[in-house]
Amino acid sequence: MGPSLDQFAALSPEGAWTVGEVTRRARAVVEGGLPPLWVKGEVSGFKAYGSGHWYFTLRDRVAQLRCVMWSRDNQRLPAPPADGMEVYAFGSPTVWEERGEFRLTARHLLSTEAGGLWQVAFEKAKAALQRDGLLDPARKRPMPPFPRRIAVVTSADGAALRDIAAVLERRWPADLVLVPTRVQGDGAEREVCAALALLARIPRLDLAIVGRGGGSKEDLWTFNSERVARAVAAVPVPVISAVGHESDVTLCDLVADVRAPTPSAAAAAATPDREELQDRLDRLSRLLARALLAPTRHAGERLERAGDRMTAGIGRQVDRARARLSESGARLDALSPLRVLERGYAVARDDAGGVLRRVAQFTPALRFRLRVQDGEVAARVGEA
Amino acid sequence: MAESSAPGGFAEDLDRLEQIVRRLEAEELDLDEALRLFEEGVQRLRAARERLGAAELRVRQVIADQAGKLRLEDLDR
Repeated sequence: MGPSLDQFAALSPEGAWTVGEVTRRARAVVEGGLPPLWVKGEVSGFKAYGSGHWYFTLRDRVAQLRCVMWSRDNQRLPAPPADGMEVYAFGSPTVWEERGEFRLTARHLLSTEAGGLWQVAFEKAKAALQRDGLLDPARKRPMPPFPRRIAVVTSADGAALRDIAAVLERRWPADLVLVPTRVQGDGAEREVCAALALLARIPRLDLAIVGRGGGSKEDLWTFNSERVARAVAAVPVPVISAVGHESDVTLCDLVADVRAPTPSAAAAAATPDREELQDRLDRLSRLLARALLAPTRHAGERLERAGDRMTAGIGRQVDRARARLSESGARLDALSPLRVLERGYAVARDDAGGVLRRVAQFTPALRFRLRVQDGEVAARVGEA
Repeated sequence: MAESSAPGGFAEDLDRLEQIVRRLEAEELDLDEALRLFEEGVQRLRAARERLGAAELRVRQVIADQAGKLRLEDLDR
């Protein structure tokens, strides 16, 4: 407002100000008289435009105040405020000249509810995920016991990748695949979602770790995004979330199959320990050797028993043969002519040894021999 | 993409090994069968140990080309 603007001249129609002059003056007065300040009120008529700017009204029981929040300012917020929500807005009261509208250009917005706008947005997104069953414990997939290929969705230059690689090197040297993405700042949400979507196209992937090293609560907001949470749920392999914040559980943590407090812990949760496995193999080796002893001993015992039986069998046969032999001997004995002689019989034989059986063979004066039990006697047929 | 350098087939070896030990311990096997199992067990054991010892960490990065095709590139650490 230049010195040409004369308030007194405007007291008559001839000295009238233009609309532009009045609104410009009003803006100067408002901005000069009301420094940037906090205003408390209830949000109503919230509208976000395609440009990203937010328009809403703050009101209380007696008045209302039009507000605008430019996209460069509202981008830092986790979510737009809901109608009816009570907030603290920090901003500069001003006049929007084109509309002749008194309004507040809001720079910050906080919910008066516990935890503020972040918490409100978090609860809202969580409820939506819950509704869609994404927080169901039954959805949690088991970790593969011996993963061969592990993907890490994180920043290429962050500590998370280094920490994970160090743990894997020691425990279980799997094939580690980085899917690089920004994890904070403008566009991080979209990039993380794209990186997560890409996991489905990595062949023979066994599991994925998504996360970052520690950060402030605001830095972690990417992992509290409902879109990111849904992208995690859509990954075809088990996911470990490692957002690097012990105290705050993010939506990403809730949807992931396993939550780890740090990237190192995630790497440990993802893998078996090589040294433990060596021990297990050693134990199995001992068991294997011992386990073979039983069948071997068993076979040895059987062999021994078989030998015993065989020996016993032969013994029996020998006994039997012996018995038969003596039996035969007895029978032979009974048949022996000597036995007959024992009973008092005698056998007469001529000189040639022929047995003399009939009277006619005993011709007068025939010399013959008589065999009795204990020997022979010479004999002669007497004169008739 | 190149083959994984991780201890592959390890799970199978370990499972089979445990199964063999269980069978040897629990069942009355004839000596031939027991020896056959034992031999297989020794082979599995050796394979598992080799796999465990030979594995080396490999870190690669996914790169998407302009056509959207993915490739893996070794990452300097």
